[in-house]
Amino acid sequence: MIDYDELKTLLAGGSPDFWEALAKSTRQATGFDQLFRLSVLRKKAHARHLVQEGTVHERVRLAIVGGYSFFPLRDVIEHVCETERYPCELWVGDYDNYNSEIMDETSGLHEFKPQAVLLMPPESRCRYSGKLTDARELQIAEAGTIVASLLALAQKLNETLHAEVIMTNFMLPARHDLGGFRARTLGSDWSFRKWVNLHLGLEAPPYLHVCDLEFLASRQGGRYARDERAWFESKQPGSSDLLLEIAREVTHLLIGLRRPPKKVLALDLDNTLWGGVVADDGLEGIEIGDTSPRGEAFKAFQRYIVSLKDRGVLLAVSSKNDHDKAEAAFLKHPEMVLRMDDFVAFRANWEPKSENLRQMAADLNLGLDSFVFVDDNPAEIEIVRQFAPEVATIELGPDPSTYVAQLQDCRFFEPRNITAEDAERTRQYQSEAKRKEALGAVTDMESYWTSLEMAGEISPFTAVDIPRLAQLINKSNQFNLTTRRRTEAELNLLMADPAYACFSFRLSDRFGDHGLVSIVIGKKEAEVMSIDTWVMSCRVLKRQVEDEVLNEVVRLARLQGCTKLAGTYLPTAKNGMVRDFYGRMGLSLSHEDETRRDFVMALDAFQPQPTKIAIRHRAPQPA
Amino acid sequence: VNQSEIIAKLQGIFDDLFLEPVVLTPALSAKDVPEWDSLTHISLLLAVEKSFGIRFRVGEVEATHNVGEFADLIGKRLREP
Repeated sequence: MIDYDELKTLLAGGSPDFWEALAKSTRQATGFDQLFRLSVLRKKAHARHLVQEGTVHERVRLAIVGGYSFFPLRDVIEHVCETERYPCELWVGDYDNYNSEIMDETSGLHEFKPQAVLLMPPESRCRYSGKLTDARELQIAEAGTIVASLLALAQKLNETLHAEVIMTNFMLPARHDLGGFRARTLGSDWSFRKWVNLHLGLEAPPYLHVCDLEFLASRQGGRYARDERAWFESKQPGSSDLLLEIAREVTHLLIGLRRPPKKVLALDLDNTLWGGVVADDGLEGIEIGDTSPRGEAFKAFQRYIVSLKDRGVLLAVSSKNDHDKAEAAFLKHPEMVLRMDDFVAFRANWEPKSENLRQMAADLNLGLDSFVFVDDNPAEIEIVRQFAPEVATIELGPDPSTYVAQLQDCRFFEPRNITAEDAERTRQYQSEAKRKEALGAVTDMESYWTSLEMAGEISPFTAVDIPRLAQLINKSNQFNLTTRRRTEAELNLLMADPAYACFSFRLSDRFGDHGLVSIVIGKKEAEVMSIDTWVMSCRVLKRQVEDEVLNEVVRLARLQGCTKLAGTYLPTAKNGMVRDFYGRMGLSLSHEDETRRDFVMALDAFQPQPTKIAIRHRAPQPA
Repeated sequence: VNQSEIIAKLQGIFDDLFLEPVVLTPALSAKDVPEWDSLTHISLLLAVEKSFGIRFRVGEVEATHNVGEFADLIGKRLREP
């Protein structure tokens, strides 16, 4: 239940806690009417100049165009984005004027220079114009034309505005109408729209993000997603409650382009992965497996967790438990789906879980904010919320039959463009552990590096790498000198701009392939090569990668006729580890204040640092 | 329920939806209240339908000219079985 009185009290008292409470209520809201009341309170807070504390991201310029009226949808989107701390600046097109707004480069849409465009084509344009009984080839040809024209609009937006495009697809009918015959022809709205939606999704280029109305409406129940009266009266795209779901999805897509995904799923054990308490009930006493309904539910939950691991999510255990007894459950219980080698960290002890999670984050070189912690026990969840607030938490509650659905709906582990590296991550982190053992065995760093047999590959940005480049740039927090985030569209632009020198670095060694581990974006300004962006995966710290990357930066700078190299450190809550990085690399501090530290180096004095990494250059690909 | 009882209940809904306080009278209309735009209007209808447990027919709210007529329409829908 939403406590409006509490919100009003916080607002009246001018309390900054108002915003957090408002965000929480907004997430809980189940209907548009609730959301509108919350939006009024938000506007009242603005009128009183009540400022949101903590990180609020830069305003995103979002344009909304399409064949519907966007009042009140625009307001709902504005509200949800703002309460999630990603406020947007909106521009809304005229009703059903999207084709000319997009194609005419002098239109208000183009003038607005949006970073993202929400395009909602009307369903009246997605209907077969011929007869139900027409030849299927004719029907397919027409559906194909619709898909092609939608893709062309998205392409135009991306090419002329370099904007990310969010496009809604089409809701399916929710009335019996043709009965069973609807599935026997592509000419029915039902089949025709399914075909268009399917092909739109499969053929969408990386800059096009489909806001799946077919899915959202089916999730809501098709009949409740529509509202004919609202269409006749004010050209609404669906029922008021569907508007709320659309706004949430659009916000999720927008934020997803800018916020790094979660990487680690940290799990409790007793009554989370199995029923009962293994230290008390013993191996034979815990509920897991196909002998009881509860046991089946826990087993299904474990299966789902394994599927997350296969997608590239790292699994960890944080349990208040006797270590040996907890481990025995995985080693000896025949019904257990998860096994010890599925986990990259296993902490079963009596320390507070918040501390265990901190320790894991340090061991894995990951930020706490890449963790999701799952527990059935509200008290444990509360401890983590209080003492490790960066960690996202899921309180599973008492019924294991709901656990899979809760993880499936948590939205923390959604792949964007799946890269092969994702699936390899568990193996990479495990070989990192082995590498640390190797480090114990050899006595000095030089021989350790030699023993790794490292090979590095330096490549200019290439089109196929763009999704992975964007991923690394947008999820790196610690080894990230400037924390400048970039969308795939922006990277494509940089790649083609001669003022920029961009490259990526891949590393492999005898334990495995680390994939893409470092990215540099250099910008040539007269005789100075300035490092706009330098990110590196923390998994390869102290491996000489930074030396080779700097060697390459200098090589490119000299090729471009530069005489100086400049680097900047912009501090964030997370990148303290690179505060002195440029200093360590031989650059001199030239300016320092609270917001930045600037470094510079003359190139004539620079000597490349020899390393134990065998470097290979990949030639630029012809465009 | 008579018109004034309905307007009294409407007052509570308006208080939640408008930034500036609005005092409802039967003669008040949307054009008297700057905030009462199409966005607020849609939200207002939803809130009214929910809290009175009624459903308006297409176009009929648009045909009312002031709060009094709107309240009478609500009364009419409330009296339906």
